[in-house]
Amino acid sequence: MSGKVAGAITKRTLAAAVAMLSLGVVLVAGMAQSQAREGRLLRLDPDARLAPDQRTAALAAGRRVFRAQCAGCHGPDGRGDTGYGAPNLADRDWLYGTGAVGEIEQTIAYGIRSHQPKGWNLADMPAFGAPRPSAKERLDPLSPGDIGDVIAFLSARRGATASAEAVARGRAIYQGRGGCYDCHGGDAAGDPAIGAPNLIDAVWLYGDGSPPSVFRSIAQGRRGVMPGFAGRLSAVQLRQVSLYVKSLSEAP
Amino acid sequence: MTATAPPAAGVAWLDIRTVHPRRALILMGAGAGLGLVLAGAALFTAKGTTTLVVPADAVAMVNQQPISRIDFDGQLRALAVDPAKATPAMRRQVLNDMIREELYVQRAKELDVGLVDPEVRSAMVKAVEAQAAADAITSKPDSAELRGFYDKHRDKYASEGVMVVRDLVFPPAAAAQARTALAAGAAPEVVATRFGGRDTGKTSGEEFYFAARIHLGEALFTAARALKTGEVSEAIADADGAHLLVMARNTPPAQYDFETARAQVATDYQAAAVARYQGAEDGFLRRRANVLVAKDLK
Repeated sequence: MSGKVAGAITKRTLAAAVAMLSLGVVLVAGMAQSQAREGRLLRLDPDARLAPDQRTAALAAGRRVFRAQCAGCHGPDGRGDTGYGAPNLADRDWLYGTGAVGEIEQTIAYGIRSHQPKGWNLADMPAFGAPRPSAKERLDPLSPGDIGDVIAFLSARRGATASAEAVARGRAIYQGRGGCYDCHGGDAAGDPAIGAPNLIDAVWLYGDGSPPSVFRSIAQGRRGVMPGFAGRLSAVQLRQVSLYVKSLSEAP
Repeated sequence: MTATAPPAAGVAWLDIRTVHPRRALILMGAGAGLGLVLAGAALFTAKGTTTLVVPADAVAMVNQQPISRIDFDGQLRALAVDPAKATPAMRRQVLNDMIREELYVQRAKELDVGLVDPEVRSAMVKAVEAQAAADAITSKPDSAELRGFYDKHRDKYASEGVMVVRDLVFPPAAAAQARTALAAGAAPEVVATRFGGRDTGKTSGEEFYFAARIHLGEALFTAARALKTGEVSEAIADADGAHLLVMARNTPPAQYDFETARAQVATDYQAAAVARYQGAEDGFLRRRANVLVAKDLK
């Protein structure tokens, strides 16, 4: 009786040991395979075309990261929030850069005005309705009439009807003492190298593009912030979520 | 004696009471193999361990310090080169520059250049401040936190008031009559001519409150702010005569509701968090430091 019990125990012990060993081998092999897969993804050029199964897996993982880290500001579908100044990631308009995966990855890693030296920190929109519009640049404030003229100039650039005098005054301010051209460009089409929005298209980062909403942006200034995720997300997560963000703009 | 007898195939393999040389060898080999795999994985992946391979997220290791692939791509892009189209020579050049920079940074640490170079010291201070600030903005405040901040600083979230006001100055003896005429709706130019007054020219058209305050001075601005559209102020005595303010339009600051102010509230909330974190960092460094101050400066 006792011999049979002892035999059963030893058999079970041995079976458990073998099972544990097998499990360990499977886990290590799985981990190695996963690391190899992640390594392959990271060593590829960020904008390289991925194999279909590799792309599917990366986008699925990226979507999970996006939901956990990015959806709070950009929304679950990435369509942004103009009340908060969080850009729509699902259109084809890129505020910073050209929409290359590598650029998206850099933005996610180091952020925007995130106080990280490698982040995008080049420009703030001055508050022209304040005594000292910019802490960095020497700029004079604008009067409400001046701001109205600049809005008229921009409306005319978008093809809307505006008073010719106001447009002329607005152009002079835009190209002169307002210093608007310095960031938004002489043609007001913006500059993705510093994150200055295009002012003559139909995409609005803040508000709805109505004159009162544009007035607020010019009078109060804008300096939206995006934190950097380097150190909080692994390198492969950064790549996966960058690929996912890029895919949002590629949807038909 | 049973131990020396050849074990029956199958059953004896599972009977741990029976010595089975082949089983012992296989299990030992499997255990050793697994251990080696685990140790190898740890060796090549754990942070801070010496490694002979370059991790996938790096393009090089310089004295165990990785040069990030993201930074490498960023450097290539800074040269206006699409990383995908960069030639091997460009890649080598960028990599060499980055390795050189890393070597010099490491050497600078060895030499402790921060002790002597004021620019490096200043950059180090800024870098630590920036690190504290970066930590502060990593967590996004939820809507309730933002609303709480908005409620606490409600006065801040209003439009800047706007006024169109004219400042006329009259001889003190004529001020009362001039005021009556202005209040009756007579044109300021006509009244000024008639009563020997003039427009000071301090204001020009529509102005934000802050600009009108600067142009008029505190006393006149305070009087102007209290006027409603179409009203004329009482005479305000000054060195150059009696001032009458004619308010053509006065739009006082209007409170923004939370939704309208949300972006600004978020920016201010994060700015406050940054200041708080940097203050805490400063306090922490002072608390843990052993600072001795000379007697004459205590």
